[in-house]
Amino acid sequence: MSLRVSVSVSMIAVAVLCCAMIGLAADPPIPIGVSVAQTGPVALAGQEQVLGAQIAEDYFNKHGGVNGRPIKLVFQDGGSDEPTAINAFQNLINVAKVVGIMGPSLSQQAFAADPFAVRAKVPVIGPSNTAKGIAQIGEFVSRVSAPVAIVAPNAVKAAMEINRDLKKVAVLYAQNDAFNKSETETFQQAVKDLKLDLATVQTFQTTDTDFTAQITNVLNVKPDLVIISGLQVDGANLIKQLRDLGYKGLIVGGNGVNTAAIFPICKAKCDGILIAQAYSPAYKSKINDEFKSVYKDKQKKDPPQFSAQAFAGIQVFVEALRALDKKSPIAKMDLAALRVELNKQLISGTYDTPLGEISFTTGPGMGGEIVQKQSYVAQIKMDPDGAKGTFVFVK
Amino acid sequence: MNRTFLLQQVLNGLAIGSVYAIFALGYTLIFSVLRIINFTHGAIFTIGAYATYALTGSQFGINGLLAGATLPFALPFVLALLGGSVVAALSGVIVERLAFRPLRARGADPLLTLVSSLGVAVALVNITQYLFGAEPYSYPDPLQGLPTAMNFGTAAAPVLVRTVQVVIFGVSMVMLVLLTYLMNATRTGKALRAVAEDMTTSSLLGIDTDRLVLLTFVISGFLGGVTGTLIGLSVGVAGPYFGIAFGLKGLAVIVLGGLGDIPGAVVGGLIIGLAEAFVPAQYIAYREAVPFALLFVVLLVRPQGLLGRAQVQKV
Amino acid sequence: MASFFATYDFLLVSMVLAAVLALTLYLPLMAGQLSVASPGFYALGGYIAAIMSTKIFPPGPGLYPVSLVLLEMAVAAVVSGALGLAVGVPALRLRGIFLALATIAFVQILGVVALNLQITGGAVGIFGIPQPFANPIEYMWLAVPLLLVSMLFVARLERTRTGRALVALREDELAAAAMGVNPTYHKVLAFTTSAVLAGAVGAVSAHFINTWNSRQGTFDTSVNLMAFVLVGGSRTFVGPVVGGLVLTALPEALRGLAGVDVLPGWLASFLRDGRLIIFGVLIAIGTVFFPHGLITPGLLRRLGRGRARAR
Repeated sequence: MSLRVSVSVSMIAVAVLCCAMIGLAADPPIPIGVSVAQTGPVALAGQEQVLGAQIAEDYFNKHGGVNGRPIKLVFQDGGSDEPTAINAFQNLINVAKVVGIMGPSLSQQAFAADPFAVRAKVPVIGPSNTAKGIAQIGEFVSRVSAPVAIVAPNAVKAAMEINRDLKKVAVLYAQNDAFNKSETETFQQAVKDLKLDLATVQTFQTTDTDFTAQITNVLNVKPDLVIISGLQVDGANLIKQLRDLGYKGLIVGGNGVNTAAIFPICKAKCDGILIAQAYSPAYKSKINDEFKSVYKDKQKKDPPQFSAQAFAGIQVFVEALRALDKKSPIAKMDLAALRVELNKQLISGTYDTPLGEISFTTGPGMGGEIVQKQSYVAQIKMDPDGAKGTFVFVK
Repeated sequence: MNRTFLLQQVLNGLAIGSVYAIFALGYTLIFSVLRIINFTHGAIFTIGAYATYALTGSQFGINGLLAGATLPFALPFVLALLGGSVVAALSGVIVERLAFRPLRARGADPLLTLVSSLGVAVALVNITQYLFGAEPYSYPDPLQGLPTAMNFGTAAAPVLVRTVQVVIFGVSMVMLVLLTYLMNATRTGKALRAVAEDMTTSSLLGIDTDRLVLLTFVISGFLGGVTGTLIGLSVGVAGPYFGIAFGLKGLAVIVLGGLGDIPGAVVGGLIIGLAEAFVPAQYIAYREAVPFALLFVVLLVRPQGLLGRAQVQKV
Repeated sequence: MASFFATYDFLLVSMVLAAVLALTLYLPLMAGQLSVASPGFYALGGYIAAIMSTKIFPPGPGLYPVSLVLLEMAVAAVVSGALGLAVGVPALRLRGIFLALATIAFVQILGVVALNLQITGGAVGIFGIPQPFANPIEYMWLAVPLLLVSMLFVARLERTRTGRALVALREDELAAAAMGVNPTYHKVLAFTTSAVLAGAVGAVSAHFINTWNSRQGTFDTSVNLMAFVLVGGSRTFVGPVVGGLVLTALPEALRGLAGVDVLPGWLASFLRDGRLIIFGVLIAIGTVFFPHGLITPGLLRRLGRGRARAR
């Protein structure tokens, strides 16, 4: 061989060797899918979930990722309707080849899209799906959003402690939202179990902005307590208008209004509301404090429930991956086996998240139903000028 | 039913109704001159509300392309309201030039224009979300010193209406008077009515139809901006989609009152507001169906609406 | 190839079903009637299938029998047809924009009713709807015949007396009536056929997306259908079919395009999150530059002639 040819060949050989070594030295980051509502009317909740997930990605990659290997979140917009969520899931499963998916935003979308993940044997963690029957969709479906069954009665009891003469209760809920429809059934049951008088049940839509008619009906029965199951904007407007129109009694809000996003709307009138929470910014734990401080840096207010649940969802994936990797190196597993093992691992673990300590129970044909150790009832305390507020624990 | 409850229901109805009325005024004005349904009105309404928010010097949240943006100055609320409405009017003009004018030039079917306006509305609302994110915003409150509700009853039997809704009612009445005066007592109004009657003949008679169509969109856009801001004042600017829900109910309002009829828009709005307010408490879940049930019945029984003239079919 | 189908199986079947739904808007349009009532019948058909397959027929092991799905489609078709007749006879005396508004009202009212009935599951809807097929792509066995049958039906309709009567009504209703064409009979016929078809599509869709609730078959669906027909082509049955296929694929194609690595970050993120913006702009542009839609009879004739000459 001539000198020129042999030099070229050796240079190519060295280059190939270097690239191979670089390829070996750095394992590609582990892809985790996130499919929430980034467009459409549900985007308000989806935005908060994206933020929570991004904070989690940074946080866990800073803390060593999965035993040295970073994670990478792949976002595919699930939109606000069922077909878009299904298409997003298909993309994440088959094109991005993720190890697991966090999403979708709505329970209805979960009923549509999760079966596709179950068929493909990909683990799904629902960050905000609270309807009955989610975990029962299939073995690969789990959720970190606690159905409000435990917290609701506590909130009502807290109200009864503040007003010992509490007798009459009015309930309002958003009838076009699965989250709130499930929640109100629990609240109404709690009211009956506590032997209070359920004087009236009024409905509204999450897209409503004017509640004068419902409020007139509520004020007519002269309730001591008003329970509201709605989302941020409608819930906040309802509270503001209730107070504007002279209601002076107690108000209990459900999970949907568990966010500082209601403060700009009801301002000083948000003061004193009791909230049944699946997440509380006031909960003292190392991870919650760190999560809170990162969130506050970006958004100048306390993190809302949706962001905390999204963070917890990613955390479950990461910690399960870590535990699985220790048992049997995931770099050696093929994708299909990895997904199946990850699902088994995540359901069996316990996690110290910003939501508190969580774990999962399971059963035949179902995935992981969340067991949340802490449940919170907080009362909102607003500054006199109505600009800032905090959630303060009750008892 | 006792008198206090009755009075409360009536006032509730008028309050809800005046919000619909003020929205419908801009909607019906376009129909009255151009015989088209302009679905972008809901989007223009939203743009006006956002523009006012920006002009009050407030800051946008961290989502969206223009995260954290603030204007370098801050206007008092009323000036911001006027400024925001001017922005809305300008948006209306841009929409007219880009989307409606080409269709009008070739004499397209009004149904085609309806679909086009839907497309533009979808695009505008999503552009707003892309730029500003989906969070709700609140204006710095100009009504801060006043009591939050006004009492139309007695101290013992209070009949309360939120102050901001009284303001909206007042504004809707003022708008109605101004528009009616414009249409009936000014030369421009006569020209507008001529254009509505027959555009070709009007232009042959020397009326500058293009300029008048532009004026219609300016007024309608301005009205939309005022509406958006006032409603934003009452219930907060609830994200870019908050104008769309009004778009559909607005259809029921303008048909009930009579398509293209300006006092009809207000009458229709108030009637639908009253109908919604008088839904009995146990059927409140069906309240959303009330405007559309009314719309359906009116269409079957009297399609020209309450104040409209019967359409004579020309052969 | 297998990976393509694994990713896009759901999308492909959605495209075919959307094409059929587009034809349900086209049918009344042949008579010059803009009726956006099909989403209402679509929703009704879906609920019928959902209720029948979760509450009436007991769930068995394995796959749900296809024969039962066909039965559900038949029931949905009949019920939708009956409702279509009941609503159509009074409503079709209206013309133009008034009919469009009446059908908008109809869909909204159905939506509120669906939210409030126990049997429809309220806001949560009905879930866990059993699957007749192991793979989503196998829904093509139902969707494609449905599309072919409807296309065949409409194509033949355009050639019969009834079809010509519908076109006459579209061109000038008064003149047609003066010449002995019964307007109400023909309009109701088109409307009812459209309702029957929409109900059948709804029944299949309920199984297809595993769940059914009041968010399926709303005004948003009407907007999409209008886009399919008015951009695809409103003067020939090929138009709505092409419109349905292409416009359903478009948002997902943009999603796929956004994933291609060569694009700069801001463009990729705009394509991904701004899908609805692009969709809206396309509808607006489409109506301006292609008033009869993209596929017109003229275009089809030219293509036909071109092919004939090539032989």
